[in-house]
Amino acid sequence: MLPHRFDQTRPFVVLGVVLLVWLIVPVGVKRFTRSALFEIQAPLTVTQSYVQELQDFWSTRLHTRDELYQKGHDLAGLLAQYDFSLQQNESLRAEILRLENLLKLPPMPSYRLEPARVARRDFSGWWQHMVIRKGSNYNIPVGAPVVFSGGVVGRIIEVHEYTSVVDMVTSPTFRVAASPEGDNRPVSYQGGDNETFSSPTGTVEFVPLDIFATPQQPKHLVTSGLGGVFPAGLTIGDITKLDPSNDGMFKSGEVRLDDRLGALSEVTILVPLNTDQM
Amino acid sequence: MRQYDYRWLLCFSCNLLLIWLIGLANHYLVGLSFIGLDYWTVHLYCGGLLVTFAALRLDLAHGLASTLLTGLAVDSLIPVPFGTSLVLFGLVHAALYSGRRRFPREEVVFATIVALFSNLFLFIVLSFALVGRLPHPGAGWLRLFADLIASQVVIALIAPWFMALQVRAFALARLNPETGRRLSA
Repeated sequence: MLPHRFDQTRPFVVLGVVLLVWLIVPVGVKRFTRSALFEIQAPLTVTQSYVQELQDFWSTRLHTRDELYQKGHDLAGLLAQYDFSLQQNESLRAEILRLENLLKLPPMPSYRLEPARVARRDFSGWWQHMVIRKGSNYNIPVGAPVVFSGGVVGRIIEVHEYTSVVDMVTSPTFRVAASPEGDNRPVSYQGGDNETFSSPTGTVEFVPLDIFATPQQPKHLVTSGLGGVFPAGLTIGDITKLDPSNDGMFKSGEVRLDDRLGALSEVTILVPLNTDQM
Repeated sequence: MRQYDYRWLLCFSCNLLLIWLIGLANHYLVGLSFIGLDYWTVHLYCGGLLVTFAALRLDLAHGLASTLLTGLAVDSLIPVPFGTSLVLFGLVHAALYSGRRRFPREEVVFATIVALFSNLFLFIVLSFALVGRLPHPGAGWLRLFADLIASQVVIALIAPWFMALQVRAFALARLNPETGRRLSA
């Protein structure tokens, strides 16, 4: 029989041995294990998302015909607007192509739009992520931008068999080159602290000294299209506060983000058609 | 004929269920607008509860296997170096296992208190490891503190249920959690 003192330390000895083994396990094995454990849990996440959709379907069925007719009517108006925008888009595309050929410019980055449903949101104080219901089965690449009608949602950081993980624009781990609207000088955007009782926020750094913003007169912040996968001009949020940074050469401040980021049910992934764009 | 001993799997399955339920709660606890507030978000972390039953009731091999696998399952879902929860959960498990003989470890109240203290330890260690990522770490602690309070309240509420669930799972499998011996019907 083992001495009593060893019996007390046995759990720590066993744990130490396990951790030593864990340290020498090859990275490939760890990556495989991580992926396998994620995939084991993915069906639960995805099933819950489908059940939620079923719930929405049945709750929509409870609407009266008059309500549905009114919604259809509103939708028809929206579709007419989008049809018009589509025509404008086509003519603008043709104009861009003509100018590119005329000035011998490299072509603008082009994307395939891949809509995806949100399966799971995970907004902690440490990170903000969401899981979407499309993965390598739709050729989603790591690093692809994710957007919604209000602007940037985030970036794909993990791709699994039929799900992907999005690092949200609100997350402190998210950084992107941005610029105030109407100004082509780049600034650095990073996700913020995200307090419990306030809208999501981000931070902005390296803002030129001649740019001003207040909560009353916010400055619109968009992606700059520099050094990353995000095309230029996508909305990030509004700069509501700018203070001189410690070195006095730039300003840094706070960016108010869209409240809808916490309630998204559908997003669009911009899949680059040219793999060199990634 | 000797039967395969699957106690670790029973415990691990219950933990997977809890991870899913907590994830589900976190999914809906984003951007809420009620009680006079336009927007509030809270995040629940229940790592302490995932370790408690395995550490207090199972034998070392099966308990540790379940805890370490649970740690890896948690790590696969969160953006931390793979193995972080494995180390943290393993440490908590070893500490609880080595001292469990001195306490009434089959009592639900004791298990709940252990889960609360374990969770407090895990949350604080994880926060210190990750708070450096935040642009203003000082301000970030306020959010983390709110999340911690919410998590502790939820653990206090669900720990008795979760312990009972695991006891029931072992009863249904007719297995003694500590020895692995078959229980008579």
